[in-house]
Amino acid sequence: MTATAAQSSGDGVAANPLREGLSSSRIADPCSITFFGATGDLMKRMLMPAMWNLRLEDLLPSNFAIVGFSRTEMTDDEFRADMRDSIDQFSRTGKATEPLWSDFAKRLSYVSGDFDDTACFHKLREALERNDKELGTAGNRLFYLSTPPSIFAKIVDQLEKGGLGPADNPQGWTRIIIEKPFGTDLESARALQAEVQKVFPEKQIYRIDHYLGKEPVQDIMALRFANIIFEPIWNRRYVDSVQITAAETVGVELRGGYYDNAGALRDMIQNHVMNLLALVAMEPPVAADADAIRDEKYKLLRAVRPIESDRISLDAARGQYGRGTINGVPVVAYREEPDVRPDSNTETYAAVQLWIDNWRWADVPFFLRSGKRLARKNSEVAIRFRSLPHRLFGEVGDALDNNVLIMKIQPEEGISLGFNAKVPGPKMHIRSVSMDFNYGSGFGVVSAPAYERLIGDAMRGDATLFTRWDAVETAWQIVMPILDFWQGNPDGDFPNYAAGSQGPAGADRMIEMAGNEWRKL
Amino acid sequence: MNREATVGASLDAITSELSHTGKSTSTLNLVVWIDDPDRRDWIVERAGRLASKHPSFTLILDHTGKRKGDATVSAQGRGDDAQTSAQGERVDIDVAGLDTAAIESYVNALCAAGVPTVLWWSGARVESRPIFEVLLPHAGMLLVDSSGALRDESGIARLVAFHRTHADVVLRDLAWLRIGPWQDMIAGFFDDPALRQELFSIRRLYVASGSASEALYLGGWLATRLGWTATAHEHLIDRSGKPVALVREREGEIRRIQRICLDSETSWYHGEVTANAHVVKVWSEGEKAREPRLFPLRAIDNTSLLERAILESGTDELFEQTLRTLETLLE
Repeated sequence: MTATAAQSSGDGVAANPLREGLSSSRIADPCSITFFGATGDLMKRMLMPAMWNLRLEDLLPSNFAIVGFSRTEMTDDEFRADMRDSIDQFSRTGKATEPLWSDFAKRLSYVSGDFDDTACFHKLREALERNDKELGTAGNRLFYLSTPPSIFAKIVDQLEKGGLGPADNPQGWTRIIIEKPFGTDLESARALQAEVQKVFPEKQIYRIDHYLGKEPVQDIMALRFANIIFEPIWNRRYVDSVQITAAETVGVELRGGYYDNAGALRDMIQNHVMNLLALVAMEPPVAADADAIRDEKYKLLRAVRPIESDRISLDAARGQYGRGTINGVPVVAYREEPDVRPDSNTETYAAVQLWIDNWRWADVPFFLRSGKRLARKNSEVAIRFRSLPHRLFGEVGDALDNNVLIMKIQPEEGISLGFNAKVPGPKMHIRSVSMDFNYGSGFGVVSAPAYERLIGDAMRGDATLFTRWDAVETAWQIVMPILDFWQGNPDGDFPNYAAGSQGPAGADRMIEMAGNEWRKL
Repeated sequence: MNREATVGASLDAITSELSHTGKSTSTLNLVVWIDDPDRRDWIVERAGRLASKHPSFTLILDHTGKRKGDATVSAQGRGDDAQTSAQGERVDIDVAGLDTAAIESYVNALCAAGVPTVLWWSGARVESRPIFEVLLPHAGMLLVDSSGALRDESGIARLVAFHRTHADVVLRDLAWLRIGPWQDMIAGFFDDPALRQELFSIRRLYVASGSASEALYLGGWLATRLGWTATAHEHLIDRSGKPVALVREREGEIRRIQRICLDSETSWYHGEVTANAHVVKVWSEGEKAREPRLFPLRAIDNTSLLERAILESGTDELFEQTLRTLETLLE
C-alpha cells in the first residue's frame, strides 16, 4: 500500500485527469465488497445479479473483489458456481456469458464461518488483505449485511474484534451497508445504533432502503425542485390532502416467520412510506448533496405531530387478510400462510393519518397506507389540490373534480395530472381528464433495479439515497405509539379484509371521518 | 396500435394523414437527411429504432431517389388507442426532385413546436451545401458521423473546419461517442494512484482502427486532458516539451477501434478487441505490468450512440476542446 493510495477515498478518481468530463467520472475507487449472508435469498435474487450488471455496465472499478461470507461450508469454486446460477436465473440481462464471466469469477471468493467465531473474521481479514495484494483493491472495504437483522450487531462487533473496523484500516476506507429493518422498535433500533456506532462513524454507515433507489422515487425531487410550476402550489394554500400508497398483491411468501413478528407498520410504513413522505413534504435542500437532503428529510420528520394515545383508534387503522381471490386465483388467509401463527394478530395492512406541524403543511392531512394481498399492486403519491373557490363552469350534474397530481412509483413509473376540460359540444359540460407521462416511453430507457444504483452509490461514497440515523430514529418515534397500542390491544375482528379487496373497512372509516376517501387501487 | 399510410408527397396530403392521430408526449423532432442510396436502409432503420423508443416526430428527408415521389406517414401508438395517444409519428418524404425552399417548407410545417429539433445529417460530409445551410438553422443540435462510410480522415477534417466557423452549433459526432468505452478503459489504467504519474511520461499512442476519426479523437482527447500541444500535422509535444508520437494504422471493421497501446517511459498499456467483438482485453507490460482484465465494449451500436447524443443536451465541452486540438493536429 502506497501513501498516495491511502487517500484514495477522496482523491482516487478525481485526481485522474483522464476521468474529467467522462460520463463515468464518478466510478468507484478500487475496493473489496464483502457480503454477509452470501448464501441467502437476497444475495441470489438481487445482490449478485446487481454486481454482475454493474460489471456489464462498466460501473465497477478496474480493481474490485467480491467476498461471500456465510455459515455454509463451501469452496471458492462452489461459491462461484452458485453465484453464476443466481445470475443465470435472476439477472435482468440474462445469463452470464464468457469470456466476461471467467474474468469476473476470478474476483469472487468465499469465507465460511460462524458469526460467533472471531477466528473466522481473522480469516476474512486475510482474504481481504490478499485481495489488496493480488487484485489491487487498495485497502478499501465495503461490508454488506444481508443477514437476518438479529445478528447485525454481532457482525459489527466481530468486525472490530477481527481487526476489520475503520480504526484498523487507516490506509483505505471502510464502509458498511445495513439492510432494513434497522431495529424492530425504537428501543432495539437505539441499541443497534449504539453497537454500530462503537465501530463505524455515521458517515460510513449506509442504511439501505431499496425503495429510495427506485427511479420514480428519485424523480420526486426532480419534479419538485427542477420545475418552477409546482413549488408555488406545494403548500397548504393549494393542497387539500396527500395520499401515499404502497399496496401489494403478494402475501408473505416465504417470509412468514419474519413478517409475523413485524407487520405492515414496521415492514413498510416506518421506512419506505416514511421516506416517501419526507421527500414529498420536505423543504428545498440548500444543495443536492447527501447532508443537505438528509437534513431536510430529518427536519420534516421532526415536524410530524406525535399521535396521542387517545387518537390512535381515530388516526390509524389496521387489517389482516382472510381468504380471497387475487387475479382470479384463490389464495389462503394470512393465518394459513407458512410459519405464521394460526392465531396471529399481526397486521398485514396499516393506514395512518399524519399532520405536519410547520408553515408549509399546517392543517393538510397526510394519509399513508400499505398492505398485502390487496386488489392491485400500486405504489404512488397523490397530491390532491383544493376545490375551486367559485364554480364558474359546468352544467348541472357535472362533477368538477379536484386537480390531482399522481407520482406513480410501481408497477407503472410516471406522473399523471388530473384536470377538468370542456367536453366538445354546444353546452359547457366539464369532465375530468388525465395527462400522463410514462418513464418507459418518455425516455425510452428501462430503469436499473434499485440495488444496482444503491450498491454503486455506496462504493462511490454517495450516501444521498441512504437513511441517516436521525431520520430512522424519528420515524420510529412517529410509529411507536401506534405499535404499542396495537400490541396491547389485539384486534378481535382479524381477519377483517378479504384477499384481493381494497382493504379493511376501518381504514375507509378513518379517512371518511377526515372528509376524504382513498383513491381506488 | 400502429398506423401507416402512403400518400402523395404534398403537404396537404401529409398533414391530412397526420390529423388522424394526436400525440400525448413528444420529446423531440428528429430531422434526418439521407443522400447516400447505399446507406439509406441502414439509416432509416436506426432512425426508426430511435423513434420507437422516444416519443418524437421523425421527418426523413430522402434524397436518394429510391422513393417514387410519395410520402409515408406512420404513427406508433400506445396501447389500443393510437387515435388519441400516439407516442411517435414519422413522415418519410421523397425530396429528390425538390428545391431547398420546398424542403424547408416541410420542416416548417411538420415539426412540432416547443420541443428541441435534432438534425441528423447523414450526408458523407458536413459541407457548404445549400440544403445543409437551410436545414441547419432549424436544428438545436447537429448530429453527424465523421466516420460514416469513410475510412480516411476527410470526414473529421471537414467537421473540424466546420466547427471552426460554426462554434455556436451544438454538435454531436457519432465517431466521438463511439470511443467512449475506450476512453473509460484508458482512464481505468490510471485510476490506480500508483500509476498516475505514468500519464505524464507517455511517449507514444498507437491506435489500430477501421476509420481515421476514432483514432484521431483518441489522440485529441488525450492531448486535451494531458496538456499535449499539437505543433504540426500529427505532431505533439507534452508539457515538458518532449515529443509524443501518434501512430495510426488502418485495421479491422470500419468505424471500429481494434487495438490501442500507450507507451510510457517504463511500461506499455494495451487494449485489444478479443475474438468476441464486444469484449476488450486490457493489460500492461514493463515496470508497471498488470494482469490482463476483460472489459465489456458496451453500447457502441449506432442506435445507442444516437440515443446518447439526443439525451445529453447542451455543449459537450470535452468534445469541443478535442476538436480545437485536432485543428492543429490535422493541419
